[in-house]
Amino acid sequence: MVSISFLNPLSPEGKDIVRELGSFDGISQDIPELRRLVTRNPYQEIVADEEIPSNYLELALKRIEWYVKKKNDREFNSRRYSFLSDQTITKYDVISFYLLCQSIGVKFGPNSRETRVMVEAQGDLVQERLGKLSLQEGRLMVDQSLQLLLKGDTVHWTFFQELLSTRKIRLTELVLDQGELILNQEDFIDRFGSRIKHRNPSSMYQLLIGDELKELLMVKMIMQETEDYIKQVHEKARIMVEPNPILLELAEEVAEILAEPMQSYGYDSGRGGGPMKAGPLNSQAFPPCVKKALEGIKSGGRNDAIVLFMTPFVSYARLYPDVFRMNLSKRISDQDPQLEITQNEILPLIYEAAQRCVPPLFEDQPQEKVNINAKLGFGMHSELKMEHEGETTWYTPMSCEKIKLHLPHLCRPDDVCKKIGNPLSYYNRMLWEVRTLKPADDSGSTTDSAENSSEGVDENNGSPGKGGTTPDKPGGV
Amino acid sequence: MELKPATPNERRQYYREEWDVKNVPDFIRNTLIQREFGFDHIGRGPNDRYRVFRNSDDLRKFMRVRTPFAAYSSVAFYNNPKRRGGWIKAELVFDVDAKDIPVRTCGCDNVCEICLNQAKDIVMGLLDTLQGDLGLKNINVVYSGRGYHIRVLDDAVMAMDSDVRSQIVKYLVGADVPRSEYSSHGMKYNLEHFTIPFGYPQVFTHRVKQALLNLTPDTEIDDVSKDIKKAVIKNRELLHDDQWGIFRKAIGPVRYARLVKGIASLNLTLVDAKVSIDLKRILRLPSSLHSGVSMKSTLIKNLETFDPFQDAVPKFVYERDDK
Repeated sequence: MVSISFLNPLSPEGKDIVRELGSFDGISQDIPELRRLVTRNPYQEIVADEEIPSNYLELALKRIEWYVKKKNDREFNSRRYSFLSDQTITKYDVISFYLLCQSIGVKFGPNSRETRVMVEAQGDLVQERLGKLSLQEGRLMVDQSLQLLLKGDTVHWTFFQELLSTRKIRLTELVLDQGELILNQEDFIDRFGSRIKHRNPSSMYQLLIGDELKELLMVKMIMQETEDYIKQVHEKARIMVEPNPILLELAEEVAEILAEPMQSYGYDSGRGGGPMKAGPLNSQAFPPCVKKALEGIKSGGRNDAIVLFMTPFVSYARLYPDVFRMNLSKRISDQDPQLEITQNEILPLIYEAAQRCVPPLFEDQPQEKVNINAKLGFGMHSELKMEHEGETTWYTPMSCEKIKLHLPHLCRPDDVCKKIGNPLSYYNRMLWEVRTLKPADDSGSTTDSAENSSEGVDENNGSPGKGGTTPDKPGGV
Repeated sequence: MELKPATPNERRQYYREEWDVKNVPDFIRNTLIQREFGFDHIGRGPNDRYRVFRNSDDLRKFMRVRTPFAAYSSVAFYNNPKRRGGWIKAELVFDVDAKDIPVRTCGCDNVCEICLNQAKDIVMGLLDTLQGDLGLKNINVVYSGRGYHIRVLDDAVMAMDSDVRSQIVKYLVGADVPRSEYSSHGMKYNLEHFTIPFGYPQVFTHRVKQALLNLTPDTEIDDVSKDIKKAVIKNRELLHDDQWGIFRKAIGPVRYARLVKGIASLNLTLVDAKVSIDLKRILRLPSSLHSGVSMKSTLIKNLETFDPFQDAVPKFVYERDDK
């Protein structure tokens, strides 16, 4: 039987495990039992000995690494993390969960990217683990955890205030009657059975509530509890004298794992074209439409040009020029964790363009600043704050086609424009040419990347252009 | 009846002869000292703000002396209302302005009997959902002069932040098309919103029905062509007895999907969402005069029988020469 704490380490069972451990003494000591469990797991694939977690701290880092690689590494191999879904590690897993929350709470606080990743990783891990259970067992686990989480038989929807406020769930997803959440079948049939015509009420129940809604609620509530716990730790730590150095060290290592995708998987997977590293903007490489927008826009079309066109272009060109090739949605903070580049380079450039409009855009429409923040993914707020990130999505740059439709006066194509479908591809291509053409053409790579096929390759240098056909949004992740 | 602005003399007459501080609803008078008041003295918006009153009598004197163009009080309760400091909680408010109803049949350029009635229907639908689905109590409905304010004073929601309030708005007005694909044990099933007689899909069905029955060929809906609108008008009789399946077939499933998507985004303007998510808003004071249209903002005892042209007209209107 799986322990509740394998899904929710913050459950009473999980807390018991922590209590049993007592103190941090010996937290970094080797646990031969853990190694044995990992190596004995029949699904486990082990490439190198160092990959086997041999103590609580290493296990904690594996949890984060699993999530980060799953999201970013195109060669992600889930079998190398099979042990994470093996319930025999529960005891160790619970401790490693608490270590992570505490270190992140102490070092980074609740509004950090580290917290966001931890909370999302926990949610994904719960789902992964549930998926490995039999239907019967999974159902039982969900029912039991929900019972603990909901604290009672009748639950008023206002109980989910926090989940609603953080948009972990939507009110429209809940089935409500007289303010109460309807979750179990008897209750459902009691309340709605007589209204349901031409259908079997219990199959209706299965479809509308059934396992899916329960699972969703359980996962989101565990995520919320995790977030709340990190917040608690953070608040306590502020009054505490000195945090445990082990926690601080672990926090550093977590941050390192999070920084990794920016350096490795993100930009170079060894394919044609070479890495397209994010770097300072080179205005020489801007396409004609961007150059024109930078000169200032006349009344009419100012908003679209600055908010919808320039904001995505400048931010992606600076932080994530490879977005279309990577085909992975990201958030600004994945590329600019402290938002320093965004504050010091990106916004100033956008504001400057806005200022050059006739009349200056913010003079009569100061609210457009909020819209710019929204297009960067930070919701409708007057300031860029980490805690709002994700309320809106980070808009990807408009395609040439869209620009021709919405901002025709900006489009004055040159020769390079004929080879690309999105201004961002133009920019990448120009940067690449500046870099490679100078020392003659011997970049070596002549294989064309798939994304490029429909655009044709510049025959002069055989360059495998970047970006190529460009959807407005990267596909699902 | 013509909706004319009130003259300064008429305002004076109203506040000195007709208005009584006792007409201010209890839910405001009992919490007077925790609320901020705001006034518009010349008809250019409420720029006299941060006013507080220690008791009803102070409010009475102020109104009689100043006879404001418009009077407002905060939906928020403060420890220090004079500074809008120490926010405690706020009423949950829905503002249904007859002028801004997305699908209007009357086409008038201000408000008239037709659109005010339509606003009333919308309010009744919203009340059903607030009570039936969300189980909220202590709800007041106020005629604002040009529409209705629903003011919820249930402690279950008064401390909620803007994000939760915006979710409530979306649920209430039917701003999202409910999903139609459901799955169970690996099997996919299609359930259109109108086949689900409870929960949010039912709310959505009610709102869509209301919109479709009032639709005119001129109603602008994103991505919905004139042809679709014509087909709706031709077939909407079917909706009177909820023959949705046949109606959808008559429109065509693809066009139907486009239609409900368009209605969903229109629904977001059924109420003024800005008002609902604002935790510090000031709202027209019930019993005060809406000088723009010469109507009394009135707390409604029985919404079904309430008729603004009977129950919210100040005496001076009947005494006008041009009557």
